[in-house]
Amino acid sequence: MSVYRSPGFDFSNSTRNNFLLNKGVPLPKATSTGTTIVGCVFKDGIVLGADTRATEGPIVADKNCEKIHFITEGIRCCGAGTAADTEFTTALISSNMELHALQSGRKPRVVTAMTMLKQTLFRYQGHIGAALVLGGVDPTGPQLFTIHPHGSTDKLPYVTMGSGSLAAMAVFESKWSANMERQEALDLVILAISAGIFNDLGSGSNVDACIITADGTEMLRNVDMPNQRVQKERDYKFRRGTTAWTKEDVRKFVVEETVTSTDEMDTS
Amino acid sequence: MSIMEYNGGSVIAMAGKDCVAIASDLRLGNQMLSISSNFQRVFPVTDRIYIGLPGLATDVTTLRERFRLRVNMYTIKEEREIEPEAFTHLVSSTLYEHRFGPYFISPVVAGISKTPTGGIKPFIAATDLIGCINFAKDFVVSGTASSKLFGVAEGLWEPDLGPEDLFETISQTLLNAVDRDAFSGWGAVVHVITKDQVITRKLKARMD
Amino acid sequence: MDHIDFNRLKTGEVNLGTSIMAVQFQNGVVIGADSRTTTGSYIANRVTDKLTHVHDRIYCCRSGSAADTQAVADAVHYQLQMYTQMSGGPPPVHTAAALFQRICYENKDGLSAGIIVAGWDKEAGPSVYNIPLGGGLFRQPWAIGGSGSTYVYGYCDATYKEGWGRDETVDFVKNTLALAMSRDGSSGGVIRMCVITEEGVERLFVPGNELPKFWEGAEVLGHAKKINQAEGLAPMVVEA
Repeated sequence: MSVYRSPGFDFSNSTRNNFLLNKGVPLPKATSTGTTIVGCVFKDGIVLGADTRATEGPIVADKNCEKIHFITEGIRCCGAGTAADTEFTTALISSNMELHALQSGRKPRVVTAMTMLKQTLFRYQGHIGAALVLGGVDPTGPQLFTIHPHGSTDKLPYVTMGSGSLAAMAVFESKWSANMERQEALDLVILAISAGIFNDLGSGSNVDACIITADGTEMLRNVDMPNQRVQKERDYKFRRGTTAWTKEDVRKFVVEETVTSTDEMDTS
Repeated sequence: MSIMEYNGGSVIAMAGKDCVAIASDLRLGNQMLSISSNFQRVFPVTDRIYIGLPGLATDVTTLRERFRLRVNMYTIKEEREIEPEAFTHLVSSTLYEHRFGPYFISPVVAGISKTPTGGIKPFIAATDLIGCINFAKDFVVSGTASSKLFGVAEGLWEPDLGPEDLFETISQTLLNAVDRDAFSGWGAVVHVITKDQVITRKLKARMD
Repeated sequence: MDHIDFNRLKTGEVNLGTSIMAVQFQNGVVIGADSRTTTGSYIANRVTDKLTHVHDRIYCCRSGSAADTQAVADAVHYQLQMYTQMSGGPPPVHTAAALFQRICYENKDGLSAGIIVAGWDKEAGPSVYNIPLGGGLFRQPWAIGGSGSTYVYGYCDATYKEGWGRDETVDFVKNTLALAMSRDGSSGGVIRMCVITEEGVERLFVPGNELPKFWEGAEVLGHAKKINQAEGLAPMVVEA
């Protein structure tokens, strides 16, 4: 085996895994972000929003994960679907956008990121399960897109995705208006995500938001925390020695050593 | 029957005050038949990083060797020891490389990382079988008893436990959770990692 | 006849369960489409633009998988730009249609795309090409497509006449699409239309509440009693 690895996916386990699959052993579930993610255009920019729950089947795997991913300074992307796919796909496009900006010497554009994402996802024919809300401000103005796992895109003034998208869209459909102010838009996004958090079982915990304008990007991690746990009334600290053990091995990094002085070195 | 339950086994890691702990059971099974009560699935990566590999036993061995190679290559190229954050990303990208033919392992990483100011920070993380990282501040669990471990750890964990208190908490969490899991148990091992030492203890556990 | 085989869509794939149409007239073409995009029973986009620009005077109407048709249209758009640069002039509609046809035919097992290409060129004047699912290529005076089209073949056959002008053709497209949208559950929203002539491309928009109305059963069912807001009964109110 070479120490230099070729790029792209490695299918070397597929023979074994397909054999298992044919024997009736199902593939295990990966972490998915049964999610509420939204985006909305306002007067001078874009507000993106996301909840912070990651699930593995019925288990809440992460109570405060980050679903708003960095693409460039003025472009961000919310991810729903298979968590690893959203994480790696956005990281790949972020990297390619930086290279593209360096090579062209121009400010990166949202359509560029959108095209890269849709072409990547289309090439994998839906097997990369990333459903994305892409938003940002570039020299052409504020831009907002959704990208589905198969590689189709939509351009709309307000968008929602993930399992909580219906709850969030209900909020947008009843309360969105054109040319909103910054604070108005942020409040609406928080409301839409909250609708997902409380009405969709796949979404939960806190609200993350990101406001992008021509002047800069403001990442608001946990802007709203409607599900804070109260202080535990008692603790369950165990008395030392509760756990019985049979064998102990201590590995000390600081080795005690005595330094014996020798005659001074002749440096003349 | 899922392939993740074929050999059984569970791992948990917890963060404390300037220390972390990682613990696992020692059972190796063949579905309901127990084969070994001394199967190692937590491995040292560097002095201050440990990795737990619950899942399919054949992949435990394969991935351990794979990570050993990649960590050694990193150490040679960078001429420094790998930090827990970087190692977790190494694990994550190794697993995602096999996105469409995965290893049946969901690893847990525990370590002490250095801050730029020269301080130290406890670090724990877990990934799913295709490499989605979960950076947690409190605890991470994985393996066949993960659902039970989640429940017990949620109740027992508290912030800023010292090494000895953390040892008791993680041990009791693991022991009590695996007692309710048919595929985990048969002994347990705990590693408590601090700035200047690692304490490894084999626990006295139910052997049924 | 071109039935859209919806089973070929993968589960969860975004679908343009569509009503699309293109009609040629004396000095141009009128193309039109509904605006509904669905994932299962959820409307992912209610104001979709399925009339896609591929060149200055050539547009296409997309039906089938949203991802597939967007990818194909993007590929053709790119190839037509290259053509224009290399040949020094705009491409004929037939060239654009042939490019669509080649992609659809060569990848027929992997694509679910039913596309109508229409436009104006100086060689042939206005023309409409239909490229149904298997990747065939048919020049027609009028073409309809998508799931909603099956409901309005009879209407089109009975109504269409040669020699129409712009306004009559626009009305024909508008009425046909309104009928298709009213019968087909996966079509709906608004009507978008484009009139493509030598002079340019004119976009027309019919909002969902201003669609042409046809017989809706008033003679049989009687007029629905109108509830006046002023009388105090607000919508969705639960009566005490």
